[in-house]
Amino acid sequence: MFSASRVMSFTAGQVGMLGGVFGAWFILRLHLPIVVGFPLTLLACAGIGVLTEIVAVRPVIAGLEKHLYVLSTLALALMMQQFTAIEWSTEPQPFPRIVGRGFGLDEKFWLPLLACAAVILGLELLYRRTLVGRAFLAIAEDNYAASALGLPVRDLRMASFALAGAVAGLAGFAGGQLLLASIANGPMLNFYGFVPVALGGLGNNRGAIAGGLLLGLFQQAANFLVGGVLVSVAVFSAFIVVLMAAPQGLFGAPPTRRV
Amino acid sequence: MLITRRGAMLASAATLVGAAPLARPALAQSGPILIGWLAALTGPSSAPAIGFDRGVRFAVEEISTAGGVKGRRIEIVTRDTQGDPTKAVNAAQDMISRQKVNAIWGPTNSGEALATTAVMARAKMPNIHPCVVDSLIDPAKYPNAFRVAPSNGQWDAAVRNYCENVLKVKDVAVVGDTTGYGASAVAASVAAFRKEGANVAYQTQIDATQPDVTPDMLRMRNAGAKVIVVWSVSTGMEARLMNVRAALGWDVPIVGHPALGSGDVRQLLENERNWEKVYMIGYASCSYDANGKLPPRTAAFVARLAGKVALDDTSLWWVASGYDAVKLVAEAVDATGSSASDAIIGYWNSLRAYPGIFGAYTWTPEQHNGFPTSEVVMSQANSQKDGAFKLAPGYA
Repeated sequence: MFSASRVMSFTAGQVGMLGGVFGAWFILRLHLPIVVGFPLTLLACAGIGVLTEIVAVRPVIAGLEKHLYVLSTLALALMMQQFTAIEWSTEPQPFPRIVGRGFGLDEKFWLPLLACAAVILGLELLYRRTLVGRAFLAIAEDNYAASALGLPVRDLRMASFALAGAVAGLAGFAGGQLLLASIANGPMLNFYGFVPVALGGLGNNRGAIAGGLLLGLFQQAANFLVGGVLVSVAVFSAFIVVLMAAPQGLFGAPPTRRV
Repeated sequence: MLITRRGAMLASAATLVGAAPLARPALAQSGPILIGWLAALTGPSSAPAIGFDRGVRFAVEEISTAGGVKGRRIEIVTRDTQGDPTKAVNAAQDMISRQKVNAIWGPTNSGEALATTAVMARAKMPNIHPCVVDSLIDPAKYPNAFRVAPSNGQWDAAVRNYCENVLKVKDVAVVGDTTGYGASAVAASVAAFRKEGANVAYQTQIDATQPDVTPDMLRMRNAGAKVIVVWSVSTGMEARLMNVRAALGWDVPIVGHPALGSGDVRQLLENERNWEKVYMIGYASCSYDANGKLPPRTAAFVARLAGKVALDDTSLWWVASGYDAVKLVAEAVDATGSSASDAIIGYWNSLRAYPGIFGAYTWTPEQHNGFPTSEVVMSQANSQKDGAFKLAPGYA
């Protein structure tokens, strides 16, 4: 999404939260089988990605010099959260078991890891092996040049938002048993999602993965050593220190200036 | 007619629309007795007010059937505050200056009450509320405000009493969430435990969205805690504590906030057994004894409610407390023959062990916390039936 539009959307965390809520709704409330509920969840989240592009990004993107954060996505994110609170629940709700067996480690711990690996692999293949993936990179690199070459910029941007929605939905679904289907997960996923992305370097997927793993290790170490509210203090202190030392992120390329 | 959640909402809305044009002169001593009801009937914290509302409406119906109070009808002026302090203040202001109510019942959560208490005190409006924050009751500053439920301090005392005198443990871990309530409740609880000579082996605040509480539970265990005291309304966090306790095979009792017994906790548990040895704050008047019986006064009340008020999706104490609030206003007018503020406040100040359904209230000009601490007990969190819980082990 960031690659294709240069927009950091505040809806990402909320769509992740909705991945858990939709999963619980389809499977536990509507009693759909998992093989139906899971693709429906991804589809619904992709739809919300498209909606974000149409409602919150497209009307404002043309008038912005440097996009990065579009506040209209924050407004939409807050609307999503309120709507979910009213229609779903303000209390966390249970999420169904998916596989039903642990292989030594409970599935709630390894399912998110598996989903993460699948996404990394999928995105790498997309960007390196497919024309669509290369087109995403092309419009991110230079919007005007890409459209001058005849690339359907708007459609590609919409496709990237749909893909981002589905990926966020997958994250929410895979982590549903750990996070529970709760509206409180939206802001939390936004905060803890942004940190590794910024640490790794914006638009750098492999950097974000490394940043995420480092953050996870650091957070758990802090959790065991200091615990409680001090964990987020420790995480954000480390984040600030790293960004002061390397503003472009640990793995990001230093900004180039056009002359 | 069975009083249900939907029925209550519709009736409240009707009251709201119907009551608006009915402003009356303040000193009408022969017209209906007007009771303002500041109810958070919608919004995220609406569950208690919906329960209280059932009791309110049942009391009005019962009094009307008996011919009213000295021939005067009781009318409830309901305003839905949605749990929003601003709306609560506006509604209280409207009840005082336009509706000219004789007394106000509510609001029912502390956030709203912190905003409305001073407004009502300025107007010398007789006010009964069930909110727990200690500072809301101060007869010197707010001589008009009376509490019909326990304060935070009384909850805290009941939990300490259970840990120290019934479970007979001295090493406690005190846990809260990261909200303002969690922080203040943990600080107060820790200070009080230490003052009584208990060893607070561990204290912490956990973010309600933290996915895994294993590290926190391990630290509590390593610190030597023999009981975990929980101050939080976050059912997700509470269920996680219970699930991790089972996963660690740690046989430690969990004691604390009434939310531990919420139905929302049950559905988040990995196993129903994880809910055993969890004791929440409850009330003697609304608890089943070892034989599954309610105290006689409550049992008689529940019998009167049968077929009229639904109890399966609410707490009995909410219904009982709403009923008591209306009765307390009615009794004041009945005893003094007047619905003036001074008469109602004067009567409440003279009450000694008034036999309400929820509690035996005692108020004096110096003490407006009317609920007796001895009636705050601990209940088994997993024993809810028709809005009431079983007493925790250790009570006669």
